[in-house]
Amino acid sequence: MKCKSVHNKLIFFLEKELPVSEMEQVQKHLDECSECARFTAEMKNTLQILDNDKVNDENPFFYTRVKERIAKQAEEQPAVRPVLVRILQPVAFSILLLLGVYGGFKLGQAPKANIAGSGFTEQEVIPYWNELEAEPIEAFLMK
Amino acid sequence: MSDTDIIDQLKQGSEAAFKTLVDTHQKLVVNTCYGLVQNREDAEDIAQDVFVEVYRNIDKFRADAKLSTWLYRIAVNRSLNHIRDNKKRKWFHSFEDEVAAKNREVMQVSTSNTDEPEYELENQQRAIILREAINSLPQNQKVAFTLSKYEELSYQEIAEVMDLSVSSVESLLFRAKKGLQKKLYKCYKKKCL
Repeated sequence: MKCKSVHNKLIFFLEKELPVSEMEQVQKHLDECSECARFTAEMKNTLQILDNDKVNDENPFFYTRVKERIAKQAEEQPAVRPVLVRILQPVAFSILLLLGVYGGFKLGQAPKANIAGSGFTEQEVIPYWNELEAEPIEAFLMK
Repeated sequence: MSDTDIIDQLKQGSEAAFKTLVDTHQKLVVNTCYGLVQNREDAEDIAQDVFVEVYRNIDKFRADAKLSTWLYRIAVNRSLNHIRDNKKRKWFHSFEDEVAAKNREVMQVSTSNTDEPEYELENQQRAIILREAINSLPQNQKVAFTLSKYEELSYQEIAEVMDLSVSSVESLLFRAKKGLQKKLYKCYKKKCL
């Protein structure tokens, strides 16, 4: 049996869930391979933690705390909200949401202004923004 | 007093029956919650909520069902909700908080009274690695593994709690163990074990 195959079966070996023949094969490999034996020991120690990692002691005040919680919740229980509020509130929010979505679509579909038709093309507008293009530096120095 | 008697008396509003129910099933519920949330205080907190829910909904309990199965289900659901809420909260927590919490966990043991502090510290580190590995399992595998390891339930009992077939539970446990093995091996290779 190869190391990789042993690693794949190790947890089942430690839990004694393998068939007898495989248990023997894994054990034989572990007797021969020190690296696998070391990992097995480490894994066994780690999994053993689960056995000790349980809550074994009982909290003597547990019942009192449960009762306190029940009493507290009974006090805090809010008065039943009127049906109209319970229904109207979500309906109002839904309508607002739908209106928002509808408004968004409408804004997106709004007719675009005809920029070209207004008489200013990109070429005409740019010189006013870009002084270098309107008056090259050479022409400026010549002055 | 049998479970049926407890339930009957509780339905009639008996406080004594409720105390008996809490006392007899406290460990079962706390352990299940602890297995899933991996924190004693949180586990007790959730367990208290489980009993509050039982108290409030005792009328909905079907007479043919098993009380422990019902308790396990509530405990599992509440614990999973707690984990989910915690995950959301963690988005707003800084990494430093996480590291500080982990260090506190380790220091708790290293400062405890023990004859072999080094061994204890090593064990605590192993426990943290194991918890991380269990926590990284998919939810269903984690529940099945916890019920099997912390409560030592049979496949049949786990199937009843999780409302699955026995073969599904077998498969979940097989995959959970494989996953754990893989994670522990990776950790061993990186010398963190």
